[in-house]
Amino acid sequence: MRSSGRAFLSALVAAFSLAVVGTAGAYHTRFVADNCNWGAPTPTSYITRDGSATVALRARYEGYQWGGGCWNDNDRDDSPGDPTEDPNTGGEGPDCSGFTFKVWRESEDKSNAGFYQWGLFRFVHGPYTAAGFKAGEGAPNVTLSKSALIKMDALASTKHIGMIYAKNADGTDQIIEAKGEAYGTNIWTRTYRGDASYSGVRRTGWSA
Amino acid sequence: MKHTPVSILARRRLAISAGLLAGALSGTALALAATLALPVTATAERSLPTAGLLLDATHLPPLLTTPGEDVTLRYDIHCVPAQESLGSGSELCSGRGSVFVRAGDTGPFTELQLRVDPAAEEGRYAAHVPGEIARSRWGFTYYAVLSAGPGGATVRLPEAGADAPQRSLPMDRAVDVRLGTHVFGAVHHAHARVAQAPWGDGPADVGLEGGRAVPPVGGSSFDVDASGTVHVLDHVHRRLLRWQHGTQVPQSVPLAIAGTLADVSIARDGTTYVLEGARAGQGPLLRAFDDEGKALGAAEFTERTVSQVRLGADGPIVLQQPSGQWVPVTVGRGPQPDAVAVAEGIPGRSLPGGGEVVVLRRGNEVRVAITTAGRVLRSWRVASATPLGEVQLAEPLGTRLVLVVRLYTDTRDEFRVLVLGPAGLEASASLDSADWAESAPLSRFRLVGSSLYQLGSTPTGLFVDRFDLEVTS
Repeated sequence: MRSSGRAFLSALVAAFSLAVVGTAGAYHTRFVADNCNWGAPTPTSYITRDGSATVALRARYEGYQWGGGCWNDNDRDDSPGDPTEDPNTGGEGPDCSGFTFKVWRESEDKSNAGFYQWGLFRFVHGPYTAAGFKAGEGAPNVTLSKSALIKMDALASTKHIGMIYAKNADGTDQIIEAKGEAYGTNIWTRTYRGDASYSGVRRTGWSA
Repeated sequence: MKHTPVSILARRRLAISAGLLAGALSGTALALAATLALPVTATAERSLPTAGLLLDATHLPPLLTTPGEDVTLRYDIHCVPAQESLGSGSELCSGRGSVFVRAGDTGPFTELQLRVDPAAEEGRYAAHVPGEIARSRWGFTYYAVLSAGPGGATVRLPEAGADAPQRSLPMDRAVDVRLGTHVFGAVHHAHARVAQAPWGDGPADVGLEGGRAVPPVGGSSFDVDASGTVHVLDHVHRRLLRWQHGTQVPQSVPLAIAGTLADVSIARDGTTYVLEGARAGQGPLLRAFDDEGKALGAAEFTERTVSQVRLGADGPIVLQQPSGQWVPVTVGRGPQPDAVAVAEGIPGRSLPGGGEVVVLRRGNEVRVAITTAGRVLRSWRVASATPLGEVQLAEPLGTRLVLVVRLYTDTRDEFRVLVLGPAGLEASASLDSADWAESAPLSRFRLVGSSLYQLGSTPTGLFVDRFDLEVTS
């Protein structure tokens, strides 16, 4: 009996510890559940690069979530420290391709080149990966010579995409991008334009 | 009851199973309760910026002009549109503003109202600078006051306005250099590999950000001091790796940094300056550490983006955006970050030996000048038939200037090292871009004496190579 009791207690403690560690490791925030919606986007016919820059600016200082697509505008990451390899942690912020999709105001239907407004709290990632954008996938997107890129065009590699926000005198670009969990979403100086792993991508159909 | 060994084992198994089940259930319940109770995700603040609020402004300053050049100053202004749902109402913010401009750097400013250029896809708010100001032999200085919408906030660009205006200088006697079409693949090899480390998490490895979600990022930046010691910022492991001259194994110095891409510069007294970019909820920071990695203080930037920290004549200087100005930074010793002296911002990078170097890449041309007291001493115009990317380095070497610029096509890129002399191009070499992993944007080259150092990376690791330029100062 004494031996069985010790075994029971040992097993209880071990299983309890493993369960606590295991469950706590499955990090999950309630940001998406508490704040985001899945409403229909609003089709619109007049879209400008400036307007898209404004959409992008409202994501500055917010978080990053791989596979994410919903954020607020309070200038902080409301779900910091998400595990970087899990797209289902319910955290705040977009990832790089979801951010570009939402800022470029595209359709979830790749054959549709129209413009659609997605609110900040509308959870949507869109159908494109960074590699898809790089290849010019989808009716709205075309590849373009990097030297011809202007504001709100994008530079995409097979793993990342960021949009050109402004040019610097030294030949670098200010890129607005969802960079990663440790970085969040913001504007940084980058040298993607000259980097051979990056290609130029343009969303077509701007009104101005 | 007499128990056989088998029955004892069976009972113990039963007890273990019961314990495992009870422990797992209670542990899971507790962990879930704790997870739900943790303030990991605070309820989002749904308050959004006021309509008309000015969010940001951008401007590419024409830092160097050529004789007779026409100058139009262009800005972009971004604000929250009148209606909350972007695109459903006013797509464009009703920005407005003026540029205050004058010839030289003294006297009253003339106000020029910014007008919307409907044909422009970027830089939509524009003001043409009158010829008598744009073509002044002393150049011109200016700043903008921008606002958005009725009752919207007003900002100055640069932030210090008339106290530290933008400055444009004339290149009256620039030396022309024409590069033609770049031939890729004819790269020079280094004279020595002075530091190398594999990617990894060991004491002599350099950390690599990665995974399915992000491209490889690692080995933020580096510097080389006068003794030849190579300092590599291993931001992933929050440390500095030092290779003393001739050694193979680096010394590791822990640093209390954020662990994101950052630039680094080492002062003569051994102080390590680490420049970190913005993160969620926080602007850029310059941190200072002593030779052993002890934190000395920090300075916080009010402008949104920073890209380089270097040592100027009087200490660390940082290039920030959107002003595009270099600002001197004093890192305090208190618990709170110091502010940055924006009123001392200048367009050129001040040099330890005096004077400044000013760089402007404009299309497929790089303009570069050595200036002092607001006058151009020497200048060059480098034109290329192959697109020019960023200027990684522009350092005086006696009467010469060493320029490292990236050349690119849509599928290839290389760096080109140019030694520019009083009469033109004196030497040139192509270098492999060697940028498999991303580093801080302008961190790939350093010039010490007449030795050029390059920070490079491959899928297996990071290295620092030395190229001897075979020119003397």
